[in-house]
Amino acid sequence: MAVSFGGAGLILANHAVAHMSRTLCAVPRARAIHSTAVCCKHQAARIRVGKGDKPVTYEEAHPPHHIAHRKGWLSQHTSNLDRETGAAERTVEDIFIRRFIFGTFHGLLANELVIKRRGNMLVVCALFTQKIPAYKLYFLIGYTETLLSYFYKCPVKMEVQTVKDKVVYKYL
Amino acid sequence: YFRNELAVLQALSSTVQRDPTASHYRFQDDPYLTPRTASEFKLFSLSQESGRNAAKYIINTYPNFFLKDYAEPHIPCLMPESLQPKVTEVCEAGLRELIHLRKVRSAVDMYDRLLQAGTVVSLELTNNLLDLICFYGDQDPVQGDQAEPEKTAEGEVVQDPAPRRKEGRFRKSDSLHRTWRKDNNAERIFHLMPERNERSYGALIRGMVKYGAHSKAFDLYTDMQNNRMAADVHAFNALIAAAPEVRQKYSEKWDLIAEMLKQMNKLGVRPTLLTFNTVLKSLLRCGPLSRALVLQVLGEMKALGIEPSLATYYHILVAFYRQGEWGFIPKNKYSLGMVPLCIHLYLHTPARWEPGRSVLIVLLCLQCCSLKDLGLAYRVHSLLNVGDNWKLLGNPSREGFYYGSLFNLVCMMENIGVVLQWYRDLVPSLFYPNSHTMRDLLQALDADNRLDLIPEIWKDVKQLGLATVSGDLAEEVLALMARDEHSPEIQESFANCALAVKAVYGHGEQSQATLDFTASALCNMATILLAAGRTDQAWEILQLFKANNRVPSEKLLDEFLNSAKSGSNSEQAVTLVQMSSSFSLPATARLAQRVEQEFDLSEEQKKALQDVEATILSDAARLSAQLVHELRRQLQVAVLDAVGGVREQFERIHVVGRELGGRRHLLRLEKKHRLQAVARLVDHGDAARQFADAIEAGAQRGLAVDTALQRLFGQRRGERLCKLVLATAVSDGLDGAR
Repeated sequence: MAVSFGGAGLILANHAVAHMSRTLCAVPRARAIHSTAVCCKHQAARIRVGKGDKPVTYEEAHPPHHIAHRKGWLSQHTSNLDRETGAAERTVEDIFIRRFIFGTFHGLLANELVIKRRGNMLVVCALFTQKIPAYKLYFLIGYTETLLSYFYKCPVKMEVQTVKDKVVYKYL
Repeated sequence: YFRNELAVLQALSSTVQRDPTASHYRFQDDPYLTPRTASEFKLFSLSQESGRNAAKYIINTYPNFFLKDYAEPHIPCLMPESLQPKVTEVCEAGLRELIHLRKVRSAVDMYDRLLQAGTVVSLELTNNLLDLICFYGDQDPVQGDQAEPEKTAEGEVVQDPAPRRKEGRFRKSDSLHRTWRKDNNAERIFHLMPERNERSYGALIRGMVKYGAHSKAFDLYTDMQNNRMAADVHAFNALIAAAPEVRQKYSEKWDLIAEMLKQMNKLGVRPTLLTFNTVLKSLLRCGPLSRALVLQVLGEMKALGIEPSLATYYHILVAFYRQGEWGFIPKNKYSLGMVPLCIHLYLHTPARWEPGRSVLIVLLCLQCCSLKDLGLAYRVHSLLNVGDNWKLLGNPSREGFYYGSLFNLVCMMENIGVVLQWYRDLVPSLFYPNSHTMRDLLQALDADNRLDLIPEIWKDVKQLGLATVSGDLAEEVLALMARDEHSPEIQESFANCALAVKAVYGHGEQSQATLDFTASALCNMATILLAAGRTDQAWEILQLFKANNRVPSEKLLDEFLNSAKSGSNSEQAVTLVQMSSSFSLPATARLAQRVEQEFDLSEEQKKALQDVEATILSDAARLSAQLVHELRRQLQVAVLDAVGGVREQFERIHVVGRELGGRRHLLRLEKKHRLQAVARLVDHGDAARQFADAIEAGAQRGLAVDTALQRLFGQRRGERLCKLVLATAVSDGLDGAR
């Protein structure tokens, strides 16, 4: 809502001027002040274009308004359907799981986790790089599955894919 | 309305067959994470399991983080285990809890304290305590993750008893190492008990038998009989199991067992399946009696209406077969009928799984292999799909053994189509073959004339990691490919495969073990490459011969000559002849002749050929000189005594020696007889001088004269000759003449 004091002020001033011009001095015309409500730039989950040397994956490159058009969902559960409860708890669980796996599989994640809830199971789909030998990866997978199962009191399964290096979509 | 909760899942699973291209379901479905060899399979599954154990350790060490209960209804198996007892004061409830938690030592302590405090512990509770002690052999059960020594109530630090512990998986073998100690808590408590009933006696007998105190068990049994108490069926089972240990002769053993059975009958105790299985097991210790009696026992079982289980059949089979190296050896002529009989009987009874009988299926399959009965093997294999029988295969190594023997049999008996079908079905999802199995497969391919499949098989071999284990497989593959003539496309694929095999031999990656080239392997490789028309690569292989100190065969050189002829390459031909002369092959002369005749040679090539022929001649001279030497050696020492003869001989030696070069001359003189000849020569001055000349000539060629001298001559003679040599050497200004 742009309120421009200029116009009305001008009219009043004109009247005043007109009024005053009959008197002695001429008032100088004031500059108008424009003010609006603050409207910041969107900066959620976006990587701004830079020099061109920063590798960026497909997931990172697309901002959130591309979800359901070019991207899928990273966390799949039914709490956001009509008359279903528990969305906040699911979100908190998701955050914990993401941080846990980021720390356990340190330096190995090639992309964001995808967390799916099927029945009473939690399925964590992860994409790792092949930096450590396979038997070490299996140790970590067994450890994660058991620990998270005991923590959340439900079966937790990991579905793992490996990739040689992080897959670069473009350079920004 | 479902009969049970799992009915839907079971119905769904029955629609899905096993996927032969996938690895075991416990692994992740990713090429980097799929095991390719048997050792990788074991490594990955063990590392996953140890990850689980690590998580359980953390959960049990910090249980306060895992107590929040999200689950509705409550899932007890996902809560941290509380292994510490909750009740702390000295009372019966505390003892009950300790028994429940299987803490043997603490329970005994608690019992003692209860007695000291004067409370009367009930008979049932005492019996429970006795059961606990006897089951665990008076020591705490070993947990895999409790590696720290535990403190007893007195504050001593007691070491965990079993020294060898492998992550809790081998707990059973640990318990078998324990023995029944003399000053046992169980016995002590038993004697302290004011009244004992059959259960107490039974517990003690079973504990004694389990931990090896067999004669004590029998003593206790007579004690029981004196007190006019009737043992129950479990105690009798234990006594039957202990019977073979307390008697020496076979007949006595069987008498004791029969005695036990009679007493059971008298007391009216009804034998169970376990009784009969124990009888059979004990019979196995009775030597040749077993075979006669085993079938009688089977008959008794039938009469009593007890259905024999797999363990029964297992014992029967073991009675008739002895475990040999590669299979099972029948003990007598009746053995051969046992396997079909057992299978027949088994198929007519519903499947009953007993733990610990995983060897049975393996055994049966091996029987079929030694019997070479394919139909029977298929029936045994079909048994695996019935009900729970897949559990019988046991751990992965036994499974591999079973599938290996099955596949071996199939390779031997069936045609190649069926063999390949089995191969694709079994490998690598169900088992990882070893080199023995792969060799069987290659033989089957050979028998059915499908050698064109060899390159694919080689790829599998490489993936399985069998290529570098021993050189046999690689050599066999090369030999099979090189043997016959094939069509051009097949030769092309063979040539590619040969190059792949060569990569295995050469310097591989750092972590792989590499094999040394063998002569036959190199020959075959060259043959294959020549047959496919790749002459350059074949020539590279020829260079490898020299580099690795291997000698090519003559057939190979002939083939090379043929190929050079077809290419009209006389340069190559001459090089070939030179190479063969450097290897000192007897065929060199023939090759040289062939080259002269069949090729147009330029001047220098002709000269080169003549050089070769000269060396051939000198070689021939050397060979004849060798013959001369051999002949001389046969002569008696008396002949050598004749001075003239000696001198001639020496002159001849000298002449030949000049041709060959000093070193060989000297070495040849190392022979004992020549030692004697030379020793005599020392006395002849001028002959010695000639000999010294020879040594000097040798020294001029930079050979180790002094060591040769030391080796040739004994001390006494050596000194004299050495002085002579020194004189000549110093006069000629030689260095190194010590």
